[in-house]
Amino acid sequence: MRTLVLDNQAVQALREEHHPKHRQVLAHLAGIVGRRRRGREVSAVVPTSVRVEAGWDRTQPEAAAINRLRVVDHTLDAASANVAAAIADELAVSVADAHVGAVIRSLLHDVVVVLTSDPDAITRVAGGRPVRPVRI
Amino acid sequence: MAELQVLDEINRLLDADGDTTVNTSMRLPETLRDAAALAVQHLGVAGSTTSLTATALRRALETAVTEAALEAHFEQHPHMRPSLAAVALALAAQDGSPLADHPELLERAAAQVVARHPDADADDVLLWAEAQAAVHA
Repeated sequence: MRTLVLDNQAVQALREEHHPKHRQVLAHLAGIVGRRRRGREVSAVVPTSVRVEAGWDRTQPEAAAINRLRVVDHTLDAASANVAAAIADELAVSVADAHVGAVIRSLLHDVVVVLTSDPDAITRVAGGRPVRPVRI
Repeated sequence: MAELQVLDEINRLLDADGDTTVNTSMRLPETLRDAAALAVQHLGVAGSTTSLTATALRRALETAVTEAALEAHFEQHPHMRPSLAAVALALAAQDGSPLADHPELLERAAAQVVARHPDADADDVLLWAEAQAAVHA
């Protein structure tokens, strides 16, 4: 199974139609749909801390379009918070970046792809776990 | 109900707590039911025919609703529709394929594939581009 994780920049690009990377992120989601049609298991997730940083409130009317794309929440539950806290302490990164790291470390059996503006940061928060950062 | 409202309602239902079950009046071909039972029992494809059916139905719905949402977005904003080559480029990046560094090859491959197969998808483009690269290596 493959999981596509969106970081702050990817969410911003998806939310804003005039964002220069909007079409690029849509291409990634369109690719996921095509793969699913071929029977592959692919999901798209957003860490809830990333949603906070990006200002994505699912209850707001302006979020309706992005909500429909079924990018599902990865919540910062107790276990994820512990992992994220350790990452934030060790690497002095933001809560959102630490949460991305926790997501990567939790998906032990998935191929994890992260759409990001900072591939190096993603590699660091992954802590040695296999991850494929894709720059947008 | 307007299409976007339908999508929102499907998403709401898909995201809702699914603990409550219902016996449906959905009619399945008997042979399909029996094939599913055998697959569960002997191939281990799922814990039960119910979970096999529910999982397959959920996946189909999630794919359909995402595709419909994208299509609705592209109808409103036609200039935002990514080209076939752009989708192939995105998948190449997700796959970690060297083709991700050669958008011009994917542009050419997409044009060649679509010329013969108008319904080709991005994976068809990737396969053709990889084959072309192998032939010319």
